[in-house]
Amino acid sequence: MEVRVSGLRVGYENFQLQVDQLYFQEKRISVIIGPNGAGKSTFLKALTGLIKSPRGTVFIDGYDLAGLSSRERAALVSYVPQEHSAALNFQVFDFILMGRSGHLHLFSSPSRDDYRKVEEIIAYLGIEKLASRKYMELSSGERRIVLMARALAQDSRIIILDEPTTFLDLKHEMEIVEFLKKLSTERQQTIICSLHSLDLVPRLADFLVMIKSGRVLAAGEMPDVFRTELLAELYDYPLQVIETEGRKIILR
Amino acid sequence: MSGFRISHRKKRCLYLAAAFFPLILFLISLSLGTVSVTPGQVLKVFISKISGSNLEALPENITSIVWNIRLPRLLLALLTGAAFSVSGASLQSIFRNPLVNEYVLGVSFGSGFGAAVSLVLLGRHFPPQILAFGCGLLAVFLVLMLAEGARNTPLSVLLTGIVVSAFFQALLSAVEFVASPYALQALFFWLLGSFSQVTWADLFWSAPLVIAGLFLMIKMSWRVNVLSLNEDEARAIGLSVKRERILIICLATLITSAVVSVAGIIGWVGLIVPHAVRGLAGADNRLVMPLSAGFGAGLMILADDLIRVFSPYELPVGIITSLVGIPFFLYLIKRTPHSWS
Repeated sequence: MEVRVSGLRVGYENFQLQVDQLYFQEKRISVIIGPNGAGKSTFLKALTGLIKSPRGTVFIDGYDLAGLSSRERAALVSYVPQEHSAALNFQVFDFILMGRSGHLHLFSSPSRDDYRKVEEIIAYLGIEKLASRKYMELSSGERRIVLMARALAQDSRIIILDEPTTFLDLKHEMEIVEFLKKLSTERQQTIICSLHSLDLVPRLADFLVMIKSGRVLAAGEMPDVFRTELLAELYDYPLQVIETEGRKIILR
Repeated sequence: MSGFRISHRKKRCLYLAAAFFPLILFLISLSLGTVSVTPGQVLKVFISKISGSNLEALPENITSIVWNIRLPRLLLALLTGAAFSVSGASLQSIFRNPLVNEYVLGVSFGSGFGAAVSLVLLGRHFPPQILAFGCGLLAVFLVLMLAEGARNTPLSVLLTGIVVSAFFQALLSAVEFVASPYALQALFFWLLGSFSQVTWADLFWSAPLVIAGLFLMIKMSWRVNVLSLNEDEARAIGLSVKRERILIICLATLITSAVVSVAGIIGWVGLIVPHAVRGLAGADNRLVMPLSAGFGAGLMILADDLIRVFSPYELPVGIITSLVGIPFFLYLIKRTPHSWS
């Protein structure tokens, strides 16, 4: 399932995001980077349908996103927010189970099949220990994993994540990166996410999009785009990409 | 993998408690009151009413007290407790606000105003539930619109609720002012919240509305869980958040107004019961909503019993619930800013 963007314009009073042509291939990890306030979150929300996109600007697997009901949209794309602010402190199992709700009728509760699906995902992620705890008792790293589990329960081919590693320590950052790669290779998920820390980009991205002040500065295969000149221009800062032992490292 | 969830055994215990607590109180309360009636006599009244024949000679006044006074009164108390508690549980969830309930959101005073207008202008025989529902909806959507303008924080919802309630209270006073002495007398007791004047005729409209509304709301309890996430998350999961929230608000208003139009304004039950139930059963509304219905129904009977047994002048039950509820509300305000279950 691929995502195609053409002539997208969304925004608020003093900010507009403008994406003319962009194509996210299926089964790949696409990463969006850019300075704070560049429009990364807005872009992701427009791809998820959380911000209304005008007709004929965002297509998912050929379907015009603007023409889909929330239920149809949820079957195609799931969204992992940066943080979940809990009003009620649910048990983690129930919290993940909520991902199944798009499939359910207004008056029905999750069925045995829904439970089985969630049990499967919990086993796949190896988070059996978390399942019986309460969401608010989890560490922020654990919460991210649980949020992703909920997105997986939704059973959509495309997962969109808003800065999944922000505020995490080194180890948990890497856990999330490994986990996303696993999803893309083992489950053939199409993944689109924004990243805050540049160090992770070469480890994670197949495809890279740079956004600056609401415009796409560059987009392409990660090795082609992750270059000193482009990054320095993107962040207005004289940083440098060097390669040692076959890995790209940022110097600033 | 049942270990992931609240154990089946605990669940079953809670369900049994929520069923038997109101049931037992209900049965005991039929014998309770200024005229003492033995449980045996109660049973006989039921048998003779159901079979339609007077099997054994019962004093006529006993039959009348049990069947025409106590039974409708207790049934209304059950329905009232259940309705307010389930409304409270669902509204707290979908507003993501522990301090909210039908009373705080202006539904109670809106409905009260509607019912009073109906009584004064359209007379005793016109069902007050219709105008009560209309005005209850008007009040809650007024609160929603005004709070939206004020950025929709938990406290702004609360404050607009207070303002809108005050507005409908003022309108209510205006209605009292123009009411005939006859209507005024009926209004007086009812406004303070009381089950003492209830007849079968009152239940004829309200009981089916409340039962149907409760049934639908409890059927939607999983949906209420998902709606307690923030709007973006619930939409990403595939819900039509606005529409579904409005549906739940309408149902909560329906059962609240159906009760208010016969029992009057009884505050704070919808705040106390759901929070207490969450303490026992956790956050999941699939448990919290039905359990709240049961425990709320029982507590309402208990409150009414206290009045019937201890107060010679039939203190309105609304006074008791407020005396208990307001300190609890202050306690909640104090610990609210963070999580709340």
